[in-house]
Amino acid sequence: MAAAATDHQLSAIKGKKVLMVGAGGIGCELLKTLALSGFQDIHIIDMDTIEVSNLNRQFLFRQIHVGQSKAKVARDAVLRFRPKISITPYHANVKDPEFNVDFFKQFHVVLNGLDNLDARRHVNRLCLAADVPLVESGTTGFLGQVTVHVKAKTECYECQPKPAPKTYPVCTITSTPSKFVHCIVWAKDLLFSKLFGDKNQENDLNVRSGDANSSSERSEDVFVRKPDEDIDQYGRRVYDHVFGYNIEMALSNEETWRNRNRPRPIYIRDVPSAALTRQNGNVENTKTADDPLSVSAMVSVGLKNPQEVWSLVENSRIFLEALKLFFSKREQEVGNLSFDKDDQLAVEFVTAAANIRASSFGIPLHSLFEAKGIAGNIVHAVATTNAIIAGLIVIEAIKVLRNDTSNYRMTYCLEHPSRKMLLMPVEPFEPNKNCYVCSETPLLLEINTHRSKLRDIVEKIVKARLGMSLPLVMHGAALLYEVGDDLDEAMVANYSANLDKVLSELPSSVTGGTVLTVEDLQQELSCNINIKHREEFDEEKEPDGMILSGWTQALTTENNKNSPAGGTETLPVGKKRKISESSNASSTSFEEKKEEVAIEYSDIVASNQYIVRKGDNAAWTIVSCHLSRTFLMKI
Amino acid sequence: MSGGIARGRLAEERKSWRKNHPHGFVAKPEALADGSVNLMVWQCTIPGKAGTDWEGGCYPLALHFSEDYPSKPPKCKFPAGFFHPNVYPSGTVCLSILNEDSGWRPAITVKQILVGIQDLLDQPNPADPAQTEGYHLFIQDTVEYKKRVRQQAKQYPPLV
Repeated sequence: MAAAATDHQLSAIKGKKVLMVGAGGIGCELLKTLALSGFQDIHIIDMDTIEVSNLNRQFLFRQIHVGQSKAKVARDAVLRFRPKISITPYHANVKDPEFNVDFFKQFHVVLNGLDNLDARRHVNRLCLAADVPLVESGTTGFLGQVTVHVKAKTECYECQPKPAPKTYPVCTITSTPSKFVHCIVWAKDLLFSKLFGDKNQENDLNVRSGDANSSSERSEDVFVRKPDEDIDQYGRRVYDHVFGYNIEMALSNEETWRNRNRPRPIYIRDVPSAALTRQNGNVENTKTADDPLSVSAMVSVGLKNPQEVWSLVENSRIFLEALKLFFSKREQEVGNLSFDKDDQLAVEFVTAAANIRASSFGIPLHSLFEAKGIAGNIVHAVATTNAIIAGLIVIEAIKVLRNDTSNYRMTYCLEHPSRKMLLMPVEPFEPNKNCYVCSETPLLLEINTHRSKLRDIVEKIVKARLGMSLPLVMHGAALLYEVGDDLDEAMVANYSANLDKVLSELPSSVTGGTVLTVEDLQQELSCNINIKHREEFDEEKEPDGMILSGWTQALTTENNKNSPAGGTETLPVGKKRKISESSNASSTSFEEKKEEVAIEYSDIVASNQYIVRKGDNAAWTIVSCHLSRTFLMKI
Repeated sequence: MSGGIARGRLAEERKSWRKNHPHGFVAKPEALADGSVNLMVWQCTIPGKAGTDWEGGCYPLALHFSEDYPSKPPKCKFPAGFFHPNVYPSGTVCLSILNEDSGWRPAITVKQILVGIQDLLDQPNPADPAQTEGYHLFIQDTVEYKKRVRQQAKQYPPLV
């Protein structure tokens, strides 16, 4: 029987109340590990119900649980092997008003296993307001991290701006793709929306460098199906335009291709067998189910394996067939569609279009399965990463409970060992003095107060940038805006009228020098925004017509490489701000730490138990154990 | 910017009221015709307690906060001429918790003020008379006093 934890640790855990937010991939591992480590009073919030797709990694759940509350099933599963502990489940959204500051105050530590930025920010703000330490975590495939946030001691979750989702320069997408992902973005954001999306939406499909839109009027028409035009004819015309004519046009600009491989225009006549589609593929044979999402070009073309890379001919057939199916089977949706990774036909179309474009540019083709992953930003979850991260959360939670401040670590889980190590511990940073969440430094907003409306600030700044959901906007003692179901009609009407007023014309005029105070009804967050009037904005670089500054100063994007998805943060290389300035032995440098900590794979068979073994002079803790592999970390 | 503390506290009061408040009560910052909403003045409604002569009435009350709030209490005013022994002819409420020199503490919330005034309606304090009529009737002619109270209740019907 393995010991749960050392005596020190046990005494720190005893009588402590912890809140877990999230009972998913990390949450299941975490709840198990907490229970086996000796925690006895665990509260767990999760709004989700169990889905079949969870079962491959959320091991507390079984098929019979599908549809039930994650929090409740996780509780029952853990109580079966630790019947005497108390686990309180809440099948609810952590943003619900019942989980207010007073609710948070009853806990000694809060542990996050969330999957979205919005909820993470919310919990961060409540933990700051309630002054409860937060251990935050995230995983993306093989990558993951655990960070510790203790008010006034370490940085809060929002001290560092989060890396924005990767975007690509327009010209790379429209003219000079060099990677498959560029072709996917082109196919889904430009071509797909042009053909099937809102016609009024701006679309750069025909933007070409050096071509100054001279032919834009004419090319607009290309995508409109002519009256009486045969659908097959239309499809071939679109095909020739986007894969043939457009490439031809791009080639005419010699300058662009001086240092690049020249693309090859592809016309439908170059792939004659693609035109045979209608003989093999038989639309009538496909089951016209009620569910439009079940319409499939693969089925009608006779392709079965989504993991197989199609030839140019096959891609061309899928392209034409998918386009045809959209216009024949899903005609009423055309004009309103936006790409959805769960829409089979849309994925087929985008895969085919991206592959044809890739052929043009000499980029390797990809299967539907791969293309779907890229298009939908899907990163496949890895159960082992979740288990490692859950183990690290518990290690940090115990340090927090022992108030072992100098040993707090942010730990990053890497995909490839760096100096034989998979885990990279870093000393936590100090709070960012300019953080708009945990410090009181006001933000600066440059805006044209004679042109911009209150709505612009509420939507683009307060909601989008500051992440508030139920904001109150105040100018001194004047309330300019509130929102919420509790407001009466007169109030609602009053505030919606204010939203459409220009800032300087609001009842209490907002001009240069004004300080706005913004609070959130539920987040317990308040911040001041200094308004600075500015007449002109660069439409290209500052499309919002306003610039928010104050907390972005800490942004060091140069050092941060973008992470694949929102869940994982990047490791700020070579950046270090220590909690304490003490230079005693415990405060070793980052480089030294890397040497000191080692990860080994041992052959200990997984026993789902959290074990600490004492070696000669080192304590080893099992960070994670399952899949017959054990990760050891020296602590 | 003056009034930072008062404003900050009033924003807190506003939020806490929006999240939870006693049934039948209304309290909100004053909204003017030009669309401005002023946190320093709150328009409130206090329901008369069930089972008392005040039942059925929804009494309008204005809270006027000063820049010194919450060091100093708000001034609480019913409409001028409001019938109650502890309400001045101007409508100002005379209540110990609203008196800076006796019962007021900065920790008292808007909710506590309104509930306190609701209690006062049916339990006047004869030691602190503020109007002649209400006080005299309350002391000398209970029947007439109760009649006047019930009349006044009808004068302030609940807003639908």
